[in-house]
Amino acid sequence: MSTQASPETVAPRDGGDGGVPEPSPTAGRSGPRQRRSGGWFVLPFAVCFGLFMLWPVVHGIAMSFTDESLTLAGTSFVGFDNYVEAFGDAAVWNALGNTLFFTLITTVPLVLIALGMALLVHTGLAGQWLWRLAFFAPYLLPVAVVTLIWQWVYQPDLGLANQLLNALGFGPVGWLSDEAVAMWAIALLTVWWTVGFNFLLYLAALQSLPDTLYEAAALDGAGAWRRLWSITLPQLRRTTVLVGMLQVLASLKVFDQIYILTKGGPNDSTRPILEYIYDVGFTGYRLGYASAISYLFFALIIVVSIAQLRFFPRQEG
Amino acid sequence: MTGAHPRRHDRFTVDRRRFLRLSLTASGAALAPGLLTGCGAPAPGGDGVGLKIWDLFSGGDGLLMDEMMDTVRGGPDGFTLDRTILEWGPSYYTKLAMAAAGGRAPDVAVLHLSRMPGYAPGGLLDPFDLELLAEFGITREDFPPALWERAQWEGRLYAVPLDTHPFIVFYDLDVAERAGVLDGAGRLIQPGSPGAMLETSAALAEAHGGAGLLFGHVTDPAQNWRIFNALYAQTGAAFDLPESGPAIDTDAAVRVVSFLQELFDGRTNPNHLDYFGALASFTESRGAMIAVGEWELPTLRSTGIRLGAAPFVNVFGEPAVATDSHSYVLPRQERPDPARRREAHRYVAAMLRQSLTWAGAGHLPAYQPVLAEPGYAELDPQSSYTEAGDLAVLDPPAWFAGSGSLFQDRMSQAIQPALLGRASAEAAVDRMVRECADLLDQPNPVR
Amino acid sequence: MPATTTLRTRPRPARAPRPARRRTAESAGSPLLLGHGRLPRVLAGTALAVFALLWLTPFALALVTSLQSERDVASSGLNPLKGALTLESYRQIVERGNVPVWAVNSLLIATLVTVITVVISTLAAYAFSRGTFRGRRVLLAVTVASIMVPPQLLIVPLFQQMRAFNLVDTYWAVILPQVVAPMMVFILKRFFDAVPRELEEAARIDGASELRVFRSVVLPLSRPIVAAVSVFVFIGAWNNFLWPFIIINDSSLMTLPVGLATVRESYGIQYAQSMASALLAAAPLILVFLFFQRRIVKSVATTGLGGT
Repeated sequence: MSTQASPETVAPRDGGDGGVPEPSPTAGRSGPRQRRSGGWFVLPFAVCFGLFMLWPVVHGIAMSFTDESLTLAGTSFVGFDNYVEAFGDAAVWNALGNTLFFTLITTVPLVLIALGMALLVHTGLAGQWLWRLAFFAPYLLPVAVVTLIWQWVYQPDLGLANQLLNALGFGPVGWLSDEAVAMWAIALLTVWWTVGFNFLLYLAALQSLPDTLYEAAALDGAGAWRRLWSITLPQLRRTTVLVGMLQVLASLKVFDQIYILTKGGPNDSTRPILEYIYDVGFTGYRLGYASAISYLFFALIIVVSIAQLRFFPRQEG
Repeated sequence: MTGAHPRRHDRFTVDRRRFLRLSLTASGAALAPGLLTGCGAPAPGGDGVGLKIWDLFSGGDGLLMDEMMDTVRGGPDGFTLDRTILEWGPSYYTKLAMAAAGGRAPDVAVLHLSRMPGYAPGGLLDPFDLELLAEFGITREDFPPALWERAQWEGRLYAVPLDTHPFIVFYDLDVAERAGVLDGAGRLIQPGSPGAMLETSAALAEAHGGAGLLFGHVTDPAQNWRIFNALYAQTGAAFDLPESGPAIDTDAAVRVVSFLQELFDGRTNPNHLDYFGALASFTESRGAMIAVGEWELPTLRSTGIRLGAAPFVNVFGEPAVATDSHSYVLPRQERPDPARRREAHRYVAAMLRQSLTWAGAGHLPAYQPVLAEPGYAELDPQSSYTEAGDLAVLDPPAWFAGSGSLFQDRMSQAIQPALLGRASAEAAVDRMVRECADLLDQPNPVR
Repeated sequence: MPATTTLRTRPRPARAPRPARRRTAESAGSPLLLGHGRLPRVLAGTALAVFALLWLTPFALALVTSLQSERDVASSGLNPLKGALTLESYRQIVERGNVPVWAVNSLLIATLVTVITVVISTLAAYAFSRGTFRGRRVLLAVTVASIMVPPQLLIVPLFQQMRAFNLVDTYWAVILPQVVAPMMVFILKRFFDAVPRELEEAARIDGASELRVFRSVVLPLSRPIVAAVSVFVFIGAWNNFLWPFIIINDSSLMTLPVGLATVRESYGIQYAQSMASALLAAAPLILVFLFFQRRIVKSVATTGLGGT
């Protein structure tokens, strides 16, 4: 790094980064200078990006057309067999359904509760550090810590959840063993665990709202509720769109807490698509088939993202 | 609570090693580049570095395993061992396969013999060196022939069985005596027919005042398969899974499932228990007999109930018991170090000689010389089901079958609704056959 | 999003110098301005307290459980005050030694991931913002597009790749795939886009090399955003589960989340010990947050992610 090459020598080399050399006017932003620069700066990232992003993407596509195995068995080309199999595989659809259901029941509370917390904290009540710590701290926990704690909360006999129900006169609930309940139980701990991130984004957004808006409103004699509804929330709209989109993408990728707590059970009722990919590829050795399912899932992510972009028209603030 | 005393010796060595590793890692943080290039290489051979051992023993098994490992650590030829315990089930077998595929697997691992068809043919295991084993005093004559046979693949030995662990019945001796289901020698009279078994359980229930036979199966990934596998084998029918498609005698299978429905009728014998529910029912004396793996012996014994045991119940005529075998294997390594390999062989041999301790957990030693030791005959109730080892039925050999496998889970899930009264025996068997066909339809990834 | 958001998000001077803990209700500097009555303040305070209580309960439960003996946990369940408090569980966890080893692994891996990611991403972002190298537009487009690719989808080919490199069960295998962070490059690039160029031009005219311009002119300006990106990357790497879980089988190389979730530490189910190891594993990052929380909130604002 210390030997920064002169731009002239850099130029011909880094043409390889993007493949095709471009016509130079595209670089015209930086004024009249026509010299090439920045190639060395981008090189380390480009190498890593190529090795650990582009290559796996391409290799994964290639694998999805083979019967590649985790074992040392030979590999042969199987055409679209894996994709055909995936479309007819009820477990794929079940896992996709579970994933979408989880996304639905976590995204809404994760956005609304985060917003509520941020608004409350932003009132400036005493004890700011405590509120922030309480709401954000769970986000800092490694997943295994979260699951250890909640396994204990959900423990059938001694766990806090059933003990509370018992104290209130209700019978025990099979939080992680009842098919009808398990996904909700996981959603609950997920909200507890990750709401802090959204909370922080909202808090940062609130703190950057200009005072002038409120000063004007105060002159108009608007009350607290009026100011909330007519100034604060509309101003937060863009943040909400962003938080919502990030949250949907994060929820679609759920794996960790479900794998550790239920391994997808009971009876596959909580198995998300990522776990099915893991189960098929690593537990079942079928890496080729797992790759094919990965790309079907990727297609779903793209569709959801496009749908979101259409649903929430992009606003320039 | 558990495990304070037998580990004292071990603790010191572990701590020192851990501490060394910790400080090494910590100083490595400061010298990260050096460390990172170093950590890529497998640990160097020689006596200084611990043999990496993986197993899946928890509960009483885990403690006994600790005791055995402590014994072989001692003495002038003591081993340096680095033990990792992972949870039994798909996660253990997935990790083992991935470690073997990755090429830096543990030196020795425990594998259920029923899983071998999913590991040896795909190259995930390395074969044992018979000459080395013989050098350490282990030969084929030391094992039951059927077990030794099952540990072979293409003429080479890929697993050294440590035990067989059958799925049996335990019962409350006092209740059984009162119920009159024991013979003159105090052993369970084998019923021999479905009707007789129903009578046995009814007599037990009556004598006890609670349930007759306890069995936990709800959402369990294996229990239904174990009980089915044993009873089905007793009919004399074959359960084969050749690649051409499942060869299952559906009539025999329906008879077995119908019998299970009759047996677990929800009155004499409960049908809605899960695994731990059934265990708790027995230990809290809400039932006279329990169908469970012998590995629960330490748990059951701790309750103070006078325990009797029998190699499962013979219902359909041919004596047969669902069994598996904990075996030692050598997971594949990219570059095996001959010195470590040798040490691994020596370790397996040394552990086999500890089989008497292992039998304390209820397991039947695979290493036959132990059976002749005076201590063994005194083990009670283990000696009353020793013959179960000879009646062993393992899973059909298929890459997807075996302990902790998707196959056992699916079979168990297929039977569950029938036992819960939500499906007919025919429907359950249909689903079993269909699931087998689906599993066989997948391209075989091990060859 | 317009480039100006990133700069606008600095806290208003009127509030910045005041430590949060001194902000009492009397200061009433909040834009939400609860009004002058007591009632709204009481309502808001109650709501906050309820939320905080709910959110802190699991921690409290873990703490209380970890300080009891296993026997008391098994017999008393919810009653936290039964039995004497003891540090026995913590002693056992530390003595067994796994949790400390995993913590060191986590620290080492997360630190290296953070350093490498921040260095290569900052350099690349600057090059994308200012550079004129060939292929810049294509590479930038591909990088931005790849934000859409969740790394979780690449586990299968990446595992095979690590096998081919013979890196399975090494630190490198955990670290390398995590250093590609297109989102961070994008955030940094937007920041650099908004930095005026005049200073750099001046330095260049003085004959400074590109690297020197970057180090002595651009980097000092970017400290807050680099800090924010570092925080994000570090938390991400510290808590990453799926990839380390897949690529590490050797327990002595595992990170905290992987080790806690896969290795059996004891022979029975021991809740006090579980909670003790959970809290030991949770402590480092929470302590860091406790000390730096205001700065972290501010850092998030600089990324433009939370900006309005």
